[in-house]
Amino acid sequence: MEHYDVPTVLDMEAGLEHMSRGTVRHVDTLLTIIEPYFKSMETAARMTSLGQEMGVSSIYAVANKVRTKEDSDALQAFCEQRGLYLIASVPEDEAIKTADRIGVAPLDHEPTAAAVEAIDGLARMLHARHSEVARDRTDT
Amino acid sequence: MKIAVGGKGGSGKTTIAGTLARQLSRHGVHPLLAIDGDTNPNLALTLGVEGARDMDFDTIPKEIAERVTDESGKVLSILKTSPDEVLRDFGVSAPDDITLVLMGRVQHAGAG
Repeated sequence: MEHYDVPTVLDMEAGLEHMSRGTVRHVDTLLTIIEPYFKSMETAARMTSLGQEMGVSSIYAVANKVRTKEDSDALQAFCEQRGLYLIASVPEDEAIKTADRIGVAPLDHEPTAAAVEAIDGLARMLHARHSEVARDRTDT
Repeated sequence: MKIAVGGKGGSGKTTIAGTLARQLSRHGVHPLLAIDGDTNPNLALTLGVEGARDMDFDTIPKEIAERVTDESGKVLSILKTSPDEVLRDFGVSAPDDITLVLMGRVQHAGAG
């Protein structure tokens, strides 16, 4: 992947142990998906540390299935405490569950669903940041 | 731009990865390569690959498995040696100028 310079999105094997395979060394961005419960938050923190050890330049936490203000506050507090950069928050969304159930992509099933729009916000942010980095590089 | 999406099983990472890929492409990041690194491949569904529901992912071409074992299980060296060939032969077309490659099963086969 390091010699083949095409934009890539890699859906990693679930869990932590697979990160040691070194796949992550070749990416510039790692998104850790974090849900509002303890084990998920701990996993995201550990994944972030592993990513830092492997030299991934941008590591962001993305909150998912956020339902209540309590969820949101807990995630923010955890990320602040552990130094995780919480870049986006995706709400719990019935439309996603329906799309999963019928086997259709969420984007195609309901493009204006709240979760789909939140992910679009994430896409815009990542694209903007990446363009900034690229611009800075060409300036030097 | 090379993004890895990780998390616990059930965290929704595949939903986010697939949807994110489509949206990045629509914002101009294309052609784009989507890699399903999960031994349980579901990225085709969230990407919106036509016929994903009925797609059979069990058959892994022998050539890829042999390359994996040659390189001591380093999956990514496959792309290094012949990326165009891999995409042409094993890439699956997804909407918005995205090509999907299934790597999870390949790694599994290589280890066995």
